[in-house]
Amino acid sequence: MKKVFVDYKKCLACKSCETACAVEQHPSHTLFGALGDTRTQINVRVLGVEHEAFPLSCRHCDPADCLDACPSGAISRDEGSGAVLLNPDLCKACAMCAMVCPFDAIAFKQTHRARYGRDVAYKCDLCNDRIKKGGTPACVEACHSGALVYGDFDRIRGDRAVSGLKCYLLGKHDALPPLVELFRELRRKECLRRRGGE
Amino acid sequence: MKVVTVGTGMAAAEFVQRLRLEGLKGPITMIGDEEFPPYSPCVIPFFLAGEPLETVYWKGRDFYERYGVNPLLGDPVTEIDIERRQVRTSGGRIEGYDRLLYATGSRSWYPKPQWLETRGVFGFKTLTDMVAIDRYVRENRITRAVVFGGGFIGVDAALALRHRGLEITLVHRNTRLLSQMTDEEGGRFATAKLKEKTGIDIRLKSTVDAIIADHGQLTGVRFSDDSSMETALLIVSIGVSPNSEPMTGEDRGVAVSAQMLADPSIYCAGDVAVTPHLVDGRDGIYATYPNAMLQARTAARHLMHGDGVYPGSINTNVLKKHIDFPIVSAGSFSGEAVTWEQGDIWRRVYLKDGKINGYLIIGDTRMSGYVYQLYRSQKRVDRSIKAILASPRHDGYYREMLGVRDCGSSVF
Repeated sequence: MKKVFVDYKKCLACKSCETACAVEQHPSHTLFGALGDTRTQINVRVLGVEHEAFPLSCRHCDPADCLDACPSGAISRDEGSGAVLLNPDLCKACAMCAMVCPFDAIAFKQTHRARYGRDVAYKCDLCNDRIKKGGTPACVEACHSGALVYGDFDRIRGDRAVSGLKCYLLGKHDALPPLVELFRELRRKECLRRRGGE
Repeated sequence: MKVVTVGTGMAAAEFVQRLRLEGLKGPITMIGDEEFPPYSPCVIPFFLAGEPLETVYWKGRDFYERYGVNPLLGDPVTEIDIERRQVRTSGGRIEGYDRLLYATGSRSWYPKPQWLETRGVFGFKTLTDMVAIDRYVRENRITRAVVFGGGFIGVDAALALRHRGLEITLVHRNTRLLSQMTDEEGGRFATAKLKEKTGIDIRLKSTVDAIIADHGQLTGVRFSDDSSMETALLIVSIGVSPNSEPMTGEDRGVAVSAQMLADPSIYCAGDVAVTPHLVDGRDGIYATYPNAMLQARTAARHLMHGDGVYPGSINTNVLKKHIDFPIVSAGSFSGEAVTWEQGDIWRRVYLKDGKINGYLIIGDTRMSGYVYQLYRSQKRVDRSIKAILASPRHDGYYREMLGVRDCGSSVF
């Protein structure tokens, strides 16, 4: 089963993934449509923690706590792709899923898929339609630095078995390209400087 | 092998679905006191709030046909004869079984059951209740309602009817709403915010002592302070009790083994089963959907494969209905309290031996999943919990993972 892996060491926090996700999820599939639209849904969020950054979104866990907690039958798994999917027609926005998700990957708002004039839960769908046609998720396609990789879960886990979330993180080579290395160094210094200045 | 379920609720439906998916070929009979396909009690208030009835059937309206079930509906089971392996219904029907799942759930508890004989007084527990309230509100053009009981179900009822456009008075005996799932301070915070955000008239330390009726039609209620109010709709939601009488003769739930067995041929699951708490081991009825699911799956697995153990229940719950103001809680509220508050958000964790003993997260759900995992796994958090609760970006999990503990500024 393939998943999206994050090599946070390569993430430059450019947020291309967020933009690509917004465009992919928007009914117009255009940047102009998604811009300034309060219903625009973005399923990935670039989080900055000190000098580190990484895009976080649903990990499509197996077993998935959210799926087991949903009392309205809205969350299911596509057995073919492994994606954990959320059907907004059945979702009651009751937050049982968000209450147990360790990755904070489920949020609520009135998206374009909300049908009853209220908020619904929304989360990453692994671009299920794209990957079923042999493509890659939009965020991965948009990532310039190689921080997001769509790859085989079992193989990667076998290669880099570590505890907790780390098994989701992928770093094929410990050596980073010189520019990325430089960028990280600058960011680390900037972070230290700002903290020192407080 | 003939399998019979007493009850057609969520635990029974999950149990039956699992058995069929695992390849059980024998006959399955489901006996229930209502006339519906299995539905989700968590979802039914949304029907009352105006959403389609179709969405309450969380495993599909065609459940019985799809899983080859013989449904016996509208006829509650009154007696279980363990020796002869048969159940008897109130209509006099006798049904034999090889394996039984007892999953009858719970029912509303009424201080004065005779109130229900008056038109305009309803419980708020079953789909039958919802359909009746919906029809009553439509046919009588009801514009205001009194909800008696401010626990989870009462607040749920008040929010659903408010969403439908009714003016609501919510009457609760305690000093705060949701008194079971909150501590004193958190409950007061939640109550004040709910009042502010919804405009519901909340009357605390008060009860409905009498109803006023005219020719069998409700016209008003009288409160404990002797004041009265005109209303044609009263919802009574002050408590529930488990439907365990046919099994045990009492309404205190059914004790089960770790395999969910109440007897060598009877499984029991859902809101009627007495199970140990996963963290503190205390026996109780932990009536939430995830517990019921796991219990039903444990029972189904044991029936099919003869193995599997129920790890225990967790009393996590969240109330977020119709308004964007979630209230999350779990565990027990004793120990050293660590609190963080800002605007609409109020978070408190109770620590015992450096581990989470209980928590309350009010106003947003971000980070509640992380705290839930920390509670479940009983990790030591006495050093980090303050920073986790106070983190404005809810990145506690990722800090932990990266080994970045300090809550300094970020360059992004």
